[in-house]
Amino acid sequence: MEKYLDALPMFVDQIRKIREIIISNIVLIGQISAPTFYERRRAACLTERLADFQVDECSIDDFGNPIGVIRGTSTEKRSIFVVAHLDTFSEVKAEQHYEVTDKIISGVGVSDNSAAVGVLASLPEVFRRLRLTFESDIVLVAPNQSLARGNLRGIRRLLQTWPTPIRGAICLESVNLGRLNYYSDGMIRGEISCSIASEKQWDHHHAPNAILVINEVINAILGLRLPQKPRTQIVIGKIAGGFNHGNVAYDAKIGFEIRSDADEMVKSLYGDIRDIVDDINKAFAVELKLNRISNLNATRLPYNHSLVKCAARILNRLGVEAVSEPSETALSIFLQHKIPAVTLGLTHGDNYHQDGAMIEIEPMFKGISQIPALIMAMDDGVCDE
Amino acid sequence: MNKKWIESNTFHHSEFKDLDRLVYAKQDKHMSISLCLPTLNEEKTIAKEIIIMKSELMTRYPLLDEIVVIDSGSTDKTRHIARSYDVAVHKADDILPHLEKYKGKGENLWKALYVTRGDIVIYIDADIKNIHHRFAYGLLGPLLLSDRIRFSKAFYDRPIATGDNKLHPTGGGRVTELVTRPLFSLFMPDLTQFVQPLSGEYAGYRDIFENIPFHIGYGVETGMLIDIYQKWGMDVMAQVDLDRRVHKNQDTKALGRMAFVIIKTFLNRVQTLGRVDIKQEIFDEMIQYRLIRDKLQPQMHALVQFERPPMSQIPEYLEKSANRTSR
Repeated sequence: MEKYLDALPMFVDQIRKIREIIISNIVLIGQISAPTFYERRRAACLTERLADFQVDECSIDDFGNPIGVIRGTSTEKRSIFVVAHLDTFSEVKAEQHYEVTDKIISGVGVSDNSAAVGVLASLPEVFRRLRLTFESDIVLVAPNQSLARGNLRGIRRLLQTWPTPIRGAICLESVNLGRLNYYSDGMIRGEISCSIASEKQWDHHHAPNAILVINEVINAILGLRLPQKPRTQIVIGKIAGGFNHGNVAYDAKIGFEIRSDADEMVKSLYGDIRDIVDDINKAFAVELKLNRISNLNATRLPYNHSLVKCAARILNRLGVEAVSEPSETALSIFLQHKIPAVTLGLTHGDNYHQDGAMIEIEPMFKGISQIPALIMAMDDGVCDE
Repeated sequence: MNKKWIESNTFHHSEFKDLDRLVYAKQDKHMSISLCLPTLNEEKTIAKEIIIMKSELMTRYPLLDEIVVIDSGSTDKTRHIARSYDVAVHKADDILPHLEKYKGKGENLWKALYVTRGDIVIYIDADIKNIHHRFAYGLLGPLLLSDRIRFSKAFYDRPIATGDNKLHPTGGGRVTELVTRPLFSLFMPDLTQFVQPLSGEYAGYRDIFENIPFHIGYGVETGMLIDIYQKWGMDVMAQVDLDRRVHKNQDTKALGRMAFVIIKTFLNRVQTLGRVDIKQEIFDEMIQYRLIRDKLQPQMHALVQFERPPMSQIPEYLEKSANRTSR
């Protein structure tokens, strides 16, 4: 273990020396828009870049996931996965243009998760510069259809069909450096939409207002009792409705997420929300619908698992404080498959899902150095304990 | 008109994407290559251009030997940002400082010849939002893989960024279609075969650039094309399709001033070549009007034009070249 930790300062210096390659990958891949379900062009670009960096096997699988395999020196060791989700929250499908200064890279989606995808593409060069070879195959994947309605479909399908055993996985997120996730909450994301039937829309004074109906739903959800243990939370994170100031709203909807470290609590609360929707539906005689968008089961590595401890020691040696929170990412799918995995953040950033999204360049070199160090540890068997 | 030129000397950048082949050709010819980025307040785009060119065409494939930024006196962080990526950055005024000082892109390009050392020089504007290394290797391809071509010029689809992420396709460019192409059609129809004669990206052998004068402003591209055509003919020239180039929009009045300079450069050239005899003084002011409180007010723009002589006529350059050769 000490040899990886002692190598970290050298890793950071060497990685900084190829900053132009890393930034180029972030820019050239990140500028290709990739809203969930529209990742095809970005997947092709990433595969091309990986091939350009002499990755042994590059392909796009049947589900559209770009994959690069760096063959290991042993045919017996199970493979190690490094993943960074390919899609972004941005709905923009046109070409995007990033701006780079001496300190930051800014542009749509850079902090979630284009920088991590660019770093993924740079790893073959990072390994080459650090003169690292591994016994395990290193599988670089940028799963598609991860966010929102995508419901981590890319990584789910990939792991269902991957033909050989997997030793462990590192999931990359652009931000924030210090992030160390090793568990995920049970989660259900849903949408509640209210539509006023067209025959009711003519009676302006007495037509039900979709926004007010949704407001009733919100108040009812807020009235649900949430236990402190198991730790449980309902977040109402999205709202939309109506079309102008002076007209009754015919459509409205909210998006919510139920999170808990107990799957039963998530299911129970989802049942409560379904009851609320049914009740209000009858009371107002409107078309109120509940849709489940995505769901995850609660899953975790023990906090004293050697992979978690190793990742925490790497951060500590880099002088970065580890921050652990639940993470509803590819991590949970690996853990569900009983594959040890952690999620790491790569750098600092701001305005994650807005126009002014940016990441800082200098901290990224420390962030990237975690990856070869942790892979070295995994290759030496840290996940096998 | 040599109608075959457009077929034989027009390329697409994808023909040159095998970078190993270009590197081999460069080494086989014992060539060195310099990339020059002329700047004036380009803090939003300069880093990206340097990073991508350096990463792809220096670190990964040894195609470029140096990247040099020549700055016209930016008041933003252009020079600071460029230096932070370890490339040579010069203020144009600091190069050959005893000469009279001018401001303009052409001045930067001309002075770049003094500070660069490449046998081939590529010029790429520093305001390209969708910069990609094809802008450089696409232009280098014909020069490295052909023994005949000495100068290559870019053309593209040119969508204009109008803010809020919207792009509008513009065809050949307004000044090209309304000014340059009609003038070329009237006097030098061979040159109409250039799809975008005013494009800001071109590459050539040093012995081409050092033996032609450089207009210091907007006229640099027009003057350059005419001079190369007159001295060496169409066969040494090529044009390369670089696909899309996204750049800043300019308003119509700014384009009007650009057109003024191009027309003046053109007239100057055809008169020097004895093709026309202009029997009156050509003025230096572009007069435009704007409405102020219901009255049209003239705006006078002094657009005095200067040209630098061929660099090969500058004693300091000759001395530097001699030293380089003797080493």
